[in-house]
Amino acid sequence: MPTPIKRLSCDRRRVFMLGLGALPFAMTPRARAAVGGLPGNTGHADLSPEWELLRGRLFGKQPITAGADRVQLIAPLRAAYGASVPVKIISKLAQTPDLHVKRIHLLVDKNPSPLAATLELTPEVGQADFETRLRVDEYSHVRVVSELSNGELHMDSRYVKTSGGCSAPPNRDSPELIGRTIFKLPGPPTMGAPTTADVTVIHPNDTGFELNNVTVMYIPSYFVRTIAVSYAGRKVFDADLDFSISENPTWRFNFVPHGPGELRAEVVDSKERHFTGSLKVA
Amino acid sequence: MKLLPRRRRLLACLCCAAFIPLLAGAQEGAGIPAAYAPLVIEPSGGPERAEFDLGPALARAQRENKRLYVYLGASDCPYCRRYENFLRKNAAELVPHFRPWLVVDLRSSLSTTAQRLFIRVGGKSRPYVDFQRSIGDERSRMLVYPSVWLFDPQLKPLMQMPAGTGTFETVDEQLEILQLVQ
Repeated sequence: MPTPIKRLSCDRRRVFMLGLGALPFAMTPRARAAVGGLPGNTGHADLSPEWELLRGRLFGKQPITAGADRVQLIAPLRAAYGASVPVKIISKLAQTPDLHVKRIHLLVDKNPSPLAATLELTPEVGQADFETRLRVDEYSHVRVVSELSNGELHMDSRYVKTSGGCSAPPNRDSPELIGRTIFKLPGPPTMGAPTTADVTVIHPNDTGFELNNVTVMYIPSYFVRTIAVSYAGRKVFDADLDFSISENPTWRFNFVPHGPGELRAEVVDSKERHFTGSLKVA
Repeated sequence: MKLLPRRRRLLACLCCAAFIPLLAGAQEGAGIPAAYAPLVIEPSGGPERAEFDLGPALARAQRENKRLYVYLGASDCPYCRRYENFLRKNAAELVPHFRPWLVVDLRSSLSTTAQRLFIRVGGKSRPYVDFQRSIGDERSRMLVYPSVWLFDPQLKPLMQMPAGTGTFETVDEQLEILQLVQ
């Protein structure tokens, strides 16, 4: 059975949210300086006041190497919808027991809850590349911080222009399907080598900032909190998530099948509902 | 009693006079400003099946070897007015950058939902969702007014565009779009 995901990070996330609530009043003039209505820090590699705060809280004074040498983030400058911004994380080192990506943090600086995901990885992923979709509430940097097993931190970032991501209406056509967890293999598995797989949880991932047009009440936040993925009983990765992940959270990842087995996902949402999904791989 | 028809005519004239400025304002306000020399396309088929024929625009773009800047606006959409007003206000600066483009102005209304909106290209008329899928546009899930598509003269999409125009309502950002910055 996969190790249960520590809930400490969720508590830390709440602290971030509370702390960041005061940010609009604390932002530096640089970030609000408007040339044609835009802030001054719109370069992909630029920092932001939100990031500076997050960095201290998440990583203390640990040095972080910026650039795409070890980890690269791919995201569009403008996505089709702010509620569904595709992002791809590419790790530029093989996942070996000696040196591997231990943890990946995905952040959206200006979202109400900026820490979108923390992934705890094992060498079983083979290649620490991931894809998912994010809600991006307003113009913001999206960042990935990759934590290696030797303690090094590497970061890459992209500036994404969008608006209204957190208020775009989710699909609630099939509430009875909430929690259904589906695996897909885009191609045939390769024994002993990284094999790509998708895991999707049908879930509204409500942010808590959306208005119900009928009741004129805010829809309470309700989102997938954790996904623990294992193969043949061995942990592949654990994901600690938030509503900054789009509706129907989906992750594309790799795993190394050493023989026939079962891909399994254990999912817990913010109402403490538990769901599972599995796929036999031969 | 005999005066009543005259009174009605008088009232009708007064009403018309009162509405003329509003209508004039609406005409001036709705759609891409004339400075951009838009090719205006009105829908055919009525409110239940509003079909926009891109054929003439495509033929002209090929003749003039221009890219297509296809704008879908709604007469009753405040976000459309905001973008059009932005274009109007900055026309002096922006129009020269639009020269390689044929601006196509599809004039719709908010009641024209995705199910009712059809795009015709050549002999094929497709509903909005099918059209979007056929060109690989990610915006098939939801129709948002206003919307912009960028095509080459063969109707090949040049760049995935966002829903709405809110991310390019500054001059610099509009130029980013025209320069296909991704």
